[in-house]
Amino acid sequence: MYVYDQFDHAMVTARNAEFKDQVERRLKGELSEDQFKPLRLMNGLYLQLHAYMLRIAVPYGVLSSRQMRTFAHIARTYDRDFGHFTTRQNIQFNWIKLADTPQILEDLAAVEMHAIQTSGNCIRNTTTDQFAGAAKDEIDDPRPWAELIRQWSTFHPEFTFLPRKFKIAITGATRDRAAIRVHDIGLQLTDKGFDVYVGGGMGRTPHLGHLIKSGLSGEKLLSYLEAALRVYNRYGRRDNIYKARIKILVSALGPQEYARQVEEEWATLDQAQIDAPHAEIARIKSFFPQPAYADKAFDAAALDRTKAADAGFARWVRNNTLAHRRDDHVSVTISLKPTGLPPGDASSAQMDVMADAADRFAYGELRVSHEQNIILPHVAKADLYDLYRLLDQNGLSSANVGKITDMIACPGLDYCSLANARSIPLAQDISQRFADAELTDKIGDLQIKISGCINACGHHHVGHIGILGVDKQGEEFYQILLGGRADEQAALGVITGKGLSAEAVPAALERLIKLYLELRTDETERFIDTVGRLGRDAFAGALHEPA
Amino acid sequence: MSQLNSSHAPQLVSDQGEVRANGWTLLADDEAIGVDQAVLSFARAVNELDGLNGRYGVRIAPGDDVRLLTPFLSKIALIEVAFPGYRDGRGYSTARIVRQDLGFDGEIRAVGDVLRDQLFWMMRCGFDSFLLKDADPAGAIAYARSLYKTAYQSAADGLKPVWALRHPA
Repeated sequence: MYVYDQFDHAMVTARNAEFKDQVERRLKGELSEDQFKPLRLMNGLYLQLHAYMLRIAVPYGVLSSRQMRTFAHIARTYDRDFGHFTTRQNIQFNWIKLADTPQILEDLAAVEMHAIQTSGNCIRNTTTDQFAGAAKDEIDDPRPWAELIRQWSTFHPEFTFLPRKFKIAITGATRDRAAIRVHDIGLQLTDKGFDVYVGGGMGRTPHLGHLIKSGLSGEKLLSYLEAALRVYNRYGRRDNIYKARIKILVSALGPQEYARQVEEEWATLDQAQIDAPHAEIARIKSFFPQPAYADKAFDAAALDRTKAADAGFARWVRNNTLAHRRDDHVSVTISLKPTGLPPGDASSAQMDVMADAADRFAYGELRVSHEQNIILPHVAKADLYDLYRLLDQNGLSSANVGKITDMIACPGLDYCSLANARSIPLAQDISQRFADAELTDKIGDLQIKISGCINACGHHHVGHIGILGVDKQGEEFYQILLGGRADEQAALGVITGKGLSAEAVPAALERLIKLYLELRTDETERFIDTVGRLGRDAFAGALHEPA
Repeated sequence: MSQLNSSHAPQLVSDQGEVRANGWTLLADDEAIGVDQAVLSFARAVNELDGLNGRYGVRIAPGDDVRLLTPFLSKIALIEVAFPGYRDGRGYSTARIVRQDLGFDGEIRAVGDVLRDQLFWMMRCGFDSFLLKDADPAGAIAYARSLYKTAYQSAADGLKPVWALRHPA
């Protein structure tokens, strides 16, 4: 992974000194909360319902075992012994004391981490495929490009006060695991360069991104992005916070006209001053080699025997591993969606275990996925059972990746001051309702995504089943969306049926799933495919109790 | 950075920290141009500069397309970029376009909700004077200059991006 040099270190050190000064003046009362707010929001520090929340950047979701141990240390020392992994591949701590933040940032800087641009109307953490560099279907590794964007976008003087926050995602594989079509800018690496999608997004007016440029050379990526951001910065709406994302501008201008304006702006830029030269791209790429793979003898027959003897292990291998570019390795997903616990949470002890697992079995490397799970990208098949037992002893062996209980949920009304409804308790109820492993496997691949308000942090628009919490005359209730997906066939879900109370949702889902199991052609037809074949209306009736 | 200081009357300060008197006067659109150092509204500048002699200031609002001034740059000595609120970042693009695309070498001044927190970004985008709401304008400039020694990206201030320092030509 990328290693800081003196320049990267100096940048973070300077930022921490600046922020420490701001915190001290707030604590002394020289700054009021109103005055402090815009300053703390430039460093990922939010004031939530009960406490400060600190969001720490995990650049493009890649972290080392040492960095994971630092998260464990922060959870133990400064929080309530747990942290929450987010859909932006970051981590946030929900119970932080303001006075502790300078020390936390210093602890983070020691392991080359920070909270820069994890909030505010600026370019946020670039996200990517959690299996980058490992997946069998990869065309090119997105991580060096994400690092290039990280550096270019850090303290970009022109784009620190954009109309609204700005999110970029990159994928380098044929399967889109980074949800690029629902990002402000989505980049698809191909063998001819980048395809650039602009204007995707969720929130209260969801849009899928439009292709505005094909075959963009990587060596011209930064200047093209600069032109794209400049057009947005100048012409994006600022009169209404809900219409300020780039999707509204692109939709108002039309994608072709927006693309034309970007080309025109691009031509005015001194591109040679903006685009990092080949040597710098090569330098960054050199930090992302394949690991020094261990040649461990792998006995397929022995693995089969172990699976036959341990059904839990067999299920975990089936659901939580993905084909690797090397036949003797796999990528392992550690599910942070155990039955009945908040999605994406991990205790400090679990973080330490995951770090140990990475050191023992995965070349010291971990990833955070936007589905809020942790990935060990490179694991020798010969080590799978030892890894499984270690995880299993520590409550980390939930074998539900990609299944109905592998939900995305925003923090919701339990933490967030914007939420209308709770997300986490509903996710817990659903996971309890579908806790039976056999049933979960029978249902197959199914993504439920839950947001506690229309800001859509839980990605409900692109859930196969999306659940949106709303407030109706002081009462929480939930709308159900069907047919959304965030992959290479991205589609937005549509509200189906009437809103339901929290108590009614799990039973409604049960009826919905029962109907799906009756209607599917066979077990290879996934829920999303059956909805696609028969239409949402075929399922609307099942959401409500028969009269 | 202290928004506390925003209650102070604005003082003119250069990017070098020199506090000086402001000799320029913003004219209403129906006001005759009877003074030296007159600042015209953007609309007036676009409509009238062609027929005027001398050198003027022009006040740019966030939504104005500064490129419309291209034919008249030789008659412009000062471009004032208005920030009605510090969160409105359009003026940063305006300054870079004026400095880098149009090649304007006169004074680019930030006016309005200009606080010490923004000075670092503004200087990088080509601003070289500020009507700053701060008790200590010179100190604010010194503070902004002391924060970061390097930058990851090139902008309008001539600072070499970090990649250029990593790979000296």
